[in-house]
Amino acid sequence: MTATIVLILRLLLAIALYAFLGWALWTLLQEFKQQGDKLAVQKKPAITLYIQIDRGMENVRRFLQPEVMIGRDPNCDLAMIDEALSAHHARLTHHHGQWWLEDLNSTNGTFLNREKLNTAAVVITGDQFKCGNTVFGIQVEDSDGLSPTNAS
Amino acid sequence: MNRVIQGRLLKLAAVFLFLQTLIITLAPAVRLRTWEVDYRWSQWLALLAWGLFAVLVHLFISSRLPDVDPYLFPAAALLSGWGILTVWRLDAGFGARQALWLLVVMIVFVFGLGLPTTLEFLRKYKYLLLSGGLLLTALTLIFGTNPAGYGPRLWLGCCGVYFQPSEPLKLLLVAYLAAYLADKLPVKLSAFPLIYPTLLVSGIAILLLLFQRDLGTASIFVALYTVIIYLATGRRRTILISAVILIFMGFAGYYLVDIIRLRLDSWSNPWSDPVGDSYQIIQSILAIANGGLEGRGPGLGSPALVPVAISDFIFAALAEETGLIGTVGLIAIFGMILIRGLRAALFAPDMFRRLLAGGVTAYFGIQALLIIGGNLRLLPLTGVTLPFLSYGGSSLLTSFIGVLILMLISNHLEEEPAPLPKPQPYFALGIFLSLGLFTAALANGWWAVVRGPDLLTRPDNPRRMIEDSYVPRGILFDRTNAPINTTEGETGSYTRVYKYPDLAAVVGYNHPIYSQSGLEASLDEYLRGLRGNPSTIIWWNHLLYGMAPEGLDVRLSLDLSLQSRADEMMLGHRGAVILLNAQTGEIYVMSSHPTFNPSHLNEIGARLNKDPNKPLINRAVQGLYPIGAMIEPFEQALYGNKTLTEDELQTVYETFGFKRAPLLRIQAAGPVTDSENNLHISPLQAALASAALSNHGSAPAPRIAMAVNTPNEGWVVLPALGTPFEALQAPAADGTAQALRVSGQNYWAHLGYAESEESPVTWFITGTLPNWQASPLVVVVALEENNAPLAQRIGQELLVDALSP
Repeated sequence: MTATIVLILRLLLAIALYAFLGWALWTLLQEFKQQGDKLAVQKKPAITLYIQIDRGMENVRRFLQPEVMIGRDPNCDLAMIDEALSAHHARLTHHHGQWWLEDLNSTNGTFLNREKLNTAAVVITGDQFKCGNTVFGIQVEDSDGLSPTNAS
Repeated sequence: MNRVIQGRLLKLAAVFLFLQTLIITLAPAVRLRTWEVDYRWSQWLALLAWGLFAVLVHLFISSRLPDVDPYLFPAAALLSGWGILTVWRLDAGFGARQALWLLVVMIVFVFGLGLPTTLEFLRKYKYLLLSGGLLLTALTLIFGTNPAGYGPRLWLGCCGVYFQPSEPLKLLLVAYLAAYLADKLPVKLSAFPLIYPTLLVSGIAILLLLFQRDLGTASIFVALYTVIIYLATGRRRTILISAVILIFMGFAGYYLVDIIRLRLDSWSNPWSDPVGDSYQIIQSILAIANGGLEGRGPGLGSPALVPVAISDFIFAALAEETGLIGTVGLIAIFGMILIRGLRAALFAPDMFRRLLAGGVTAYFGIQALLIIGGNLRLLPLTGVTLPFLSYGGSSLLTSFIGVLILMLISNHLEEEPAPLPKPQPYFALGIFLSLGLFTAALANGWWAVVRGPDLLTRPDNPRRMIEDSYVPRGILFDRTNAPINTTEGETGSYTRVYKYPDLAAVVGYNHPIYSQSGLEASLDEYLRGLRGNPSTIIWWNHLLYGMAPEGLDVRLSLDLSLQSRADEMMLGHRGAVILLNAQTGEIYVMSSHPTFNPSHLNEIGARLNKDPNKPLINRAVQGLYPIGAMIEPFEQALYGNKTLTEDELQTVYETFGFKRAPLLRIQAAGPVTDSENNLHISPLQAALASAALSNHGSAPAPRIAMAVNTPNEGWVVLPALGTPFEALQAPAADGTAQALRVSGQNYWAHLGYAESEESPVTWFITGTLPNWQASPLVVVVALEENNAPLAQRIGQELLVDALSP
């Protein structure tokens, strides 16, 4: 009799142990799912590039993805026909809440505001950079999708 | 959300610990199988201390640091509560000290969580802290003590408060390495200048520990150092180099340091020396085997049989009482801590905190694997503690400071993680530790489920003798149901009682120190209830009590009234007497003298083995005497009155079974030939051959255990083990018996004398004549002296007694 009662308690003991583990696992899965959902809906702020083709003429491209590859290769997000560009010339990436510009060891280099770029640098609205013979103007939007108001 | 998860997990942990406390309280009632026992209440204090600790820390965390990882604290708290209850169940005094340490941990925890600069402090004063730790460890070389009074002197302190500096030194080393590497890594890229200062510092620490012969901690230091360098640099070479160094150290240690050789030998081949150097590991494995799948239940196993069960072998204690189910859960909780620790490392906002979290996680993982592996014989045994569970204040405090560090690092999730150029080392560490835990679970299953049942029948498993005092052993009856060996007492204090001590050498004994002998040994499975009972009953008793069901009674063929006649006459002489039914092989009398009283084994047991009279030997089946002139009737039966050639003599031996050991439920000795080419046989062999003369040429298979009383089918016959054999044609046998007839009597007899190196032997064989109407009987007497009248008197009186109704 005593042993049977204790056997039931022992069974409950094992159940309690695995309830602890099971509940931890379940909440971890929930959290995992939530994070996935959050990442899926989270929008990176869009970046708009003003590409100066000829004097005064501009080509405007807006990007919603967190990474923009610039180069001559047709697979690049921004593929240009410009002999001075390397196949994969430069890259714009969004992380740590900023857009970063990075030169990908291009032959002719990347220039941010006329200075040669050696390491990845943060870019903001109003910056200009040059790849090959092409000059790009930058406008970064806020995460809510609105352009920052022009102070001038 | 985190607060809710942490609170819920702590509640589940509390339910788990509450049930465990309750079961420990009730355990004495289960053991003694009655409600009227002294219940164990004291461990509720441990639960109370744990509850206070858990509630206060939980409230503090949720009010001050709501973003902290919600899994780390409940996991650590559950493990520590489990550990304290187990330690308390093994030794209430140590349990109480551990509970007090938990309250110390609580204060440190609240302070550490409250100060926002705890981690900065570690980083800033890394040199000071590490030097302090090294200094304290060095001091143990001079002032070290051991609270137990013996063993390695790794502690500092006095008057009941002791501290082991090498425990926190592990964390200090991790903190130093993380801080140093985080400072230097972006600047210096070449490997050697970067790491040689760390090599120096870690080398000093490791040397200190080697001097202290704290080999387990030293190997943890080597492993931790390797892991952190690997995490920081991402170079796989570091692991290779470190592995080579460890193996080299192992080899060098094996040939130079005694304790390392001892540990490695007892690890690689423990079964060769189960009572000496390998005693601990064998007992650990036996405890795990006894736990099996479901465990014996908290408070219901016998983990105290393993030496140092409260610290080094706490895993074996847990495995015995909660079984594979419990230890797999335990291993999974460790896995949970490791995964959350590595997650904190990956999401850490800077290099220092990332390396620190990685290092602390590695510390938990490596130390847990080292000692769990040691308990399971996966790894050589090292005397390190199992984090959170083992007894030891320094260990408990260090483990919780480690968790505190992980929690503080996990509290910065709003900051973006630092860039991680080489993530592989962290994944590799995670995979390595998970594989280690998985292997430990598999090894646990191997010992507990696959090898367990076999291991538990080992005679050096002390649980069998504990079981004897809780479960009544079957009674050994004579053929008229008079008890010979029986069990008296009540649950918890059953003892074996020997009603007829003169049969000690035949029937044997069952003793906690001197194990078993005779029929007690050979019929053990029946007497213990493991055979003859329905398997469901055996299974159910094992599940409920971890013991076998009540033993079954066995009826022997012996007849105590005839036996006592033989013993009276043999008193003071050395030799053996057998009275046998020549047709059925049932042994009515088996007397071996001198004998001993098994009731006094406690006092005389040690002497018996060395006694020159060899009272432990059952002379009737294990005593071997030269045949000498006793052979004459058998020669005549085959060849008549002539001098035999050597070949003919061998034929006589073969014909009457003198060349092979008879099969009986007592281990019978086989015949031997001495230096002068004389054959020595046992009295039982002589009795079987004589039976052929009284039973028309056919020798029976001897029987001593007749039947076992099973619960379902009543008395079930135990068949003879041997087979009868035809030695002679009936006319030849009958003729020989008639020729040996004692004039005026209804039996034949023969007296034979033999000489051996030790003493002369007088044989007397006698038996009923072939025309005897009732069961044919034979008697064999072998005396280790030249005493024909006595041999004759014993044989004839016994036979006449047996023949008269």
